Amino acid sequence: METVTLTIDGRPVTVDKGKTVLQAAIESGISVPYYCYHPGLGVDGSCRVCIVKIEKMPKLQTSCSTTCADGMVVTTRDEDVVKARAGIFEFLLVNHPLDCPVCDKGGECPLQDFSYAFGPAESRMDFPRRVFDGEGVKADVDFGPTLMLNRNRCILCTRCVRFMREVEGDAQIGIVDRGNGSEIATFREEGVHSLLSGNLMDVCPVGAITTRDYRFKSRPWDNPNVVDTICTRCSKGCSTSAWLKAKPEWARGSQLIRMTPRYNPAVNDYWMCDIGRFGYHWIEGEQRLRRPMVRRGSALESCAWHDVLPKVREQIQQAGTADPSSVRFLVSAHAATEELFVLRQTIDGLMGADARGSVSLTWARSEKTQPAGTRFVVPATDAPNVRGAHDLGFAVGAGHDGAPDLGALRAAVEGGRVRVLYVIDPGPDGSLGDVAWVAAARRAGTLPFLVVQGVVRHDLVEAADVVLPGATSTEKDALYTNDQGMVQPSSRAILPPGEAQEDWRILVSVARALGLSLSYDSSDAVRVALAAAMPGTAYAGAGAVTFSRPIPSRNWLQASNPSERWKWDFMFQDLPPVKGHSVQMEGVPVKDIIPLKPTQA
Amino acid sequence: MAYEPVLTRYVREPNSFTLEHYLQHQRGYEGLRTALGRAPGDIIEQVKASGLRGRGGAGFPTGLKWQFVLKDTPKPKYICCNADESEPGTFKDHVLMERNPHLLIEGCAIACYAIGAKVAYIYIRGEFYHVQQVLEAEIAKAYAAGYLGKNIFGSGFDCDVFVHRGAGAYEAGEETALIESLEGKRAQPRLKPPFPAVAGLYQCPTAVNNVETLCNVPPIVLNGAEWFAALGPEKNGGPKLYCVSGHVKRPGVYEATMHTTLRELIYDERFAGGMLDERPLKAIIPGGSSVPLLLPDELDTPASFDHVQKAGSLLGSAGMIVLNDTVCMVWLAQNLLHFYRHESCGKCTPCREGGDWLYKLLQRVESGEGREKDIDLLYGVASNITGKTLCAFGDAAATPVLTTIARFRAEFEAHVREGRCTIPAEWRARQPMLAGHH
Repeated sequence: METVTLTIDGRPVTVDKGKTVLQAAIESGISVPYYCYHPGLGVDGSCRVCIVKIEKMPKLQTSCSTTCADGMVVTTRDEDVVKARAGIFEFLLVNHPLDCPVCDKGGECPLQDFSYAFGPAESRMDFPRRVFDGEGVKADVDFGPTLMLNRNRCILCTRCVRFMREVEGDAQIGIVDRGNGSEIATFREEGVHSLLSGNLMDVCPVGAITTRDYRFKSRPWDNPNVVDTICTRCSKGCSTSAWLKAKPEWARGSQLIRMTPRYNPAVNDYWMCDIGRFGYHWIEGEQRLRRPMVRRGSALESCAWHDVLPKVREQIQQAGTADPSSVRFLVSAHAATEELFVLRQTIDGLMGADARGSVSLTWARSEKTQPAGTRFVVPATDAPNVRGAHDLGFAVGAGHDGAPDLGALRAAVEGGRVRVLYVIDPGPDGSLGDVAWVAAARRAGTLPFLVVQGVVRHDLVEAADVVLPGATSTEKDALYTNDQGMVQPSSRAILPPGEAQEDWRILVSVARALGLSLSYDSSDAVRVALAAAMPGTAYAGAGAVTFSRPIPSRNWLQASNPSERWKWDFMFQDLPPVKGHSVQMEGVPVKDIIPLKPTQA
Repeated sequence: MAYEPVLTRYVREPNSFTLEHYLQHQRGYEGLRTALGRAPGDIIEQVKASGLRGRGGAGFPTGLKWQFVLKDTPKPKYICCNADESEPGTFKDHVLMERNPHLLIEGCAIACYAIGAKVAYIYIRGEFYHVQQVLEAEIAKAYAAGYLGKNIFGSGFDCDVFVHRGAGAYEAGEETALIESLEGKRAQPRLKPPFPAVAGLYQCPTAVNNVETLCNVPPIVLNGAEWFAALGPEKNGGPKLYCVSGHVKRPGVYEATMHTTLRELIYDERFAGGMLDERPLKAIIPGGSSVPLLLPDELDTPASFDHVQKAGSLLGSAGMIVLNDTVCMVWLAQNLLHFYRHESCGKCTPCREGGDWLYKLLQRVESGEGREKDIDLLYGVASNITGKTLCAFGDAAATPVLTTIARFRAEFEAHVREGRCTIPAEWRARQPMLAGHH
């Protein structure tokens, strides 16, 4: 790649040819503010805050739209730039409400952060702000099924407009009216209906677009930790961040509070779909399996791990001795590669490699409705590791972009030829696809014994004889191989609930109970063995993969820095005065209400 | 010898807009025929030699603009005629389109031939419905007579001219916003570079030229570059239309050379004929509402691009707004800002937010509610807009504030001190009302 070298604030900076001055500044850690620029979207040049001075150019230039050239001399700290930039920040806050204390973006808001860093100390604006839909929380209006819109906060950077047009592929958002009356709008105020709608909250540099899911649930400074995970809701394998909200001191652990995309140019760029973003509530839901259970009569009763494993061993051994082919495994493609590897070793050790056919992989599929021109396609396969199962030598039906093939297994189960069916299902409800026939066969007695190693209490669990509580993908360090064949590590964000265990550990325990001498004491050890067993493949480096641990999130409230407090104290005075909504104020003469701030007329 | 108008000589005659009249009196389409017999590069060279400068406002040399249009490209090229005449005080282009449309049509065809385009779009402003009727009827006649369409004069040159009427936005007169609007999008300016000459309409090389500019092209081809250049001061040649309005006896469109001084335009019997009611002249806005004021002591400035610029203003669109002593300068600025805040496209921050702020401040000062610091605040806010916007609109919107404060600060101070407007003229319209919900 050809490079160019320019000077920014006296520092020589070398970047790839074609980059803009703003990109060069960001890459080299020189702080230049920006709103309309987003690395995943086209350049717009409209917010004007990224202006810099460039030698030999008569006017200040927007750095987002200026391509770097060799020998260019750029200044971002010059007096002219500082003054002009502060002027633009003053303009941005002319109509933007200072309702940061109740705004979801407060604390991780580029407008807030950059205004502190680059804006004037105080605004000279003393007219009432423009109001579209009322003030405060009342200004929030529906913006489709997943989002809320607050037009008052919008600074018209048009990132959302461009996201819909350039990435989503269906330009549902536009701007109506013009000039100072411009507002973000959708056709007939129908709101945004898109599988990618959640990204609009990410691209919005202010609190104008918020998700209903995250709204008022937490503040950034309550979410001290972030973990790098991989989304397991489909075969795309988007890089994601799991945000953890700290619980009060008297409660244990932390809570999964939101999922956001993590930049990965090879897979998902800056984006993720709403299925992954909003579909995490089940992980800490009421239906999670927390303790092992065994069937006593018509009911499932909780019991200890050391009571439940002998039952599994007994049934598998009995069935296996009579007819090895009567022990079958139904494995969700949500199973991580480590789990599949331990399962493979168990089968190879007990029955020989020829018996790998006793494992049937399953997954759900759903065609997603997306615009034809979308740049972000969500695959139909709703499981993260079909490709991994295939790589480990398991038969996977029509492959990662096709349907599973359970015909032979179903015939065997319904024909009474299967005595023990062991189901491994660490995914959300429904991720096994249509398996009502398994529960039916168990209830009819055609299938004598059903083991479910799972995470949620669904119909199949209700029919099981033994239930082993496993871990979801956010509860274990695990590898998943996406539809491109990329082996990606997903890190543990939280611990499995109750007595639930990571699935590889359950499988090792079962294998040991069956007499195999597997000695893994960590998932790292499993990966080392996996790497050794598969040299020359994408898994050869599995032993050296590193996982992230909860890291302090970067977007802390800057104003928590005491040196910045005075600005807050000043800016808060500009809030609209307290209105007479409160019950206590009813009947109190107006002159008796002490205003928070004297008017400056 | 008295100047004989070139562009508007016949506009008062009843049938001046017809093809027959054009052919009979103005050597109609002979310029096009002549041009088609020469190489396109020759036409560009001739226009360059004539010194023709854009009549829309910027005064950029037209031949140079055409030369910049990308040559080596498989893409089609376009001529866009900017007929979105919206600058307050400017009303010259509609006269040409209504009363001498074939001159423009011929100019479009020659311009297309010169840059290698086959299509010209005439983008007229939303309010010009009647102009569209005239233009389209006359274009149809030009097609029927073989001056437009396929194989014009058997030369193998094809040319289509279309009229596109906008929805009525001042900003659509900015060349890249005009292109956006023509493409069916909101009339908002694009970032430059790339310039339209490289990536304009549909990302193809495009030249955007004002109506009056294109109307000057057929006479240049017929009469030669020297004739054109000799008509005015150096680098300011050719006929020029002046729109004189305000407190003068005979407001109107006047054609003259750029030797003509501001004084002549206002006082001479050939032009506006003097100040209305013989009241004293207070100031003149020489180039449409976006340019700085000139004072009476600058009246002997020739109304050419270079002379007016030297005097501290701009010739712009040559929309001369003449103001007498009944005009309150605070009111003037408020009136103009009312226009600019209404017309700001809203794309970039300083213009969108600053225009409205300026208007509110001016309203406050004009109504007598202003404070001493509001004057500096006005100046400060206007300075924060200037030079920081995406297109020239921001500078245009800030100018009325900057220029009135610079020249008439005492009037602003008097408003603040006395708590009322000190020059309340009885002719003044009521507080302007905005359509819609502002």
